[in-house]
Amino acid sequence: MRKPPSAAAPPFSDRSKARTSTLLGLAFLAAFLGSWHLAQIHPLALFEAEGRRNMARFLAGMFPPAHSPEFLLGLWRPLLETIQISVMGTVLAIVIGFPLGLLGTASLSHRGTLHDAELAGAPARRLGRMLPYVLARGVLSVFRCIPEFVWAFMFVRAVGLGPVPGVLAIGISYGGMLGKVYSEILENQGQQASEALQATGASRWKVLLYGMLPQALPQLVAYTLYRWECAVRASAVLGFVGAGGLGQQIELSMRMFNFNEVITLVLVLLLLVAAMDAFSARLRAALV
Amino acid sequence: MYQLEKVTKQFDRGLMAVDRVDLGIRRGERLAVIGPSGAGKTTLFRLLNLTIPLTSGRLSIAGQEVGALRGARLREHRRRIGTVYQQQNLVPRLRVIHNVLAGRLGAWSFLRAVRSLIRPTREDIRAAHAALSRVGIPEKLWARTDELSGGQQQRVAISRVLLQNPEVILADEPVSSVDPSLAHAIVRLLMDLSGTSGKTLIMNLHSVDLALAYFPRVVGFRDGRVAFDRSPAQVSDDLLVSLYAGSSPSHPTEESPDAEAAVRGCAPVFRPQ
Repeated sequence: MRKPPSAAAPPFSDRSKARTSTLLGLAFLAAFLGSWHLAQIHPLALFEAEGRRNMARFLAGMFPPAHSPEFLLGLWRPLLETIQISVMGTVLAIVIGFPLGLLGTASLSHRGTLHDAELAGAPARRLGRMLPYVLARGVLSVFRCIPEFVWAFMFVRAVGLGPVPGVLAIGISYGGMLGKVYSEILENQGQQASEALQATGASRWKVLLYGMLPQALPQLVAYTLYRWECAVRASAVLGFVGAGGLGQQIELSMRMFNFNEVITLVLVLLLLVAAMDAFSARLRAALV
Repeated sequence: MYQLEKVTKQFDRGLMAVDRVDLGIRRGERLAVIGPSGAGKTTLFRLLNLTIPLTSGRLSIAGQEVGALRGARLREHRRRIGTVYQQQNLVPRLRVIHNVLAGRLGAWSFLRAVRSLIRPTREDIRAAHAALSRVGIPEKLWARTDELSGGQQQRVAISRVLLQNPEVILADEPVSSVDPSLAHAIVRLLMDLSGTSGKTLIMNLHSVDLALAYFPRVVGFRDGRVAFDRSPAQVSDDLLVSLYAGSSPSHPTEESPDAEAAVRGCAPVFRPQ
């Protein structure tokens, strides 16, 4: 093999690297001080007379936590609703994120070993393959850049109060996140096995099926489960804008100053998240 | 089977990996390629199995030029060529049976592939079992591939080629990751498999010993070019010395004062005199 003499000098000397990090440090400090000023942060506000009184009332109101049988029994419905919203929202997110994630995976569409021979000297073909890739990436980024809270707000206006807007909001914004991460996971699978499968005459979708997906499965499942946990928490927040579940109960009790109910609701939410955490850890362990 | 005319592969960085190679390989022929690491042997193999496109020249398989093939026609030609790699290039999390059946992917429809992955048919199981029996590990049919040793995985990779049933078998340093006693067994296995069915066998070997002991035709490859191409009896020690001259990392130049020592310092083992 013949190498041309390499002429390129390393782009940074040690000295200019050090200067860069000093500049970055100063920029960070300036940004921090500016934000402090603009956001009008007064940590002591919590401890001024007015703040102290409110805090005391809030804390005193929490105890004892609400535990009357009829209140606890009434929790079943919102608890179930929260689980349903998170499950349906995550399922919808997978339905949206998986196909878009595949389209948005460069090693499946146009980059790397699977396309070397196919796209050599065929710029029009390459462009044709890149178009769906770019579109999918664009859609995914719009979906995830708008927070689920904002989506929920819009859907509550569109379809009314209840769990449906919560499901739609989680499905769309989490679909965007799942799709992005799915494509990154698939992108990071080694190309060796894919190359060997392709050499048997397999199309790229068969390479995906026999090589990339089985290899990436544990990571794909782990991330999806993590998102499901996030969806449970998110569904509580979404309740605040009227999207059902425990969140809506918390918001109602807050508004009535029934802080003892709030604390019970928060504890129930905490138990729910902990239970799901344990459940998904087991599922992950079974799949390594 | 293969006809190469001035076949050249230049990578993006200007690296000339394969440089105007002319080579003809007959159907059913068995041939070893030897040469120092970095000579471009693996690149040559990736050209031959249609993984990467050539930069210039003509590459024909069975009389048909394949340089500009795309899509289904490209895949059809890939199906005719089975490859065994240095690293086995299996899918570690799949069971052995699916890695073996992957040899059929070129022939199967997508739905057929899905079906076999979910639940292999009796026919599939029988075929995979037969292939694994020929390489001596039928009991590993349902094992997970990453639980197998390096030598066993290489046998699985060979079984995959058996299921593919190609006209040509390319083996790119198939024994460099297994221990020496197993190396002989695997080379012999590949010779047998190609011999009984009249397949063309092209093997890239790190070990000069194995090449000279088993193959009727030996090609020396250096700096992306064919240095010599002859029968093992005609391969002299002088030829081998100049083939490997300067390839040891401690002697980076060709004017190495002790080329022979450089040869002994690097991996190939000389045949006993």
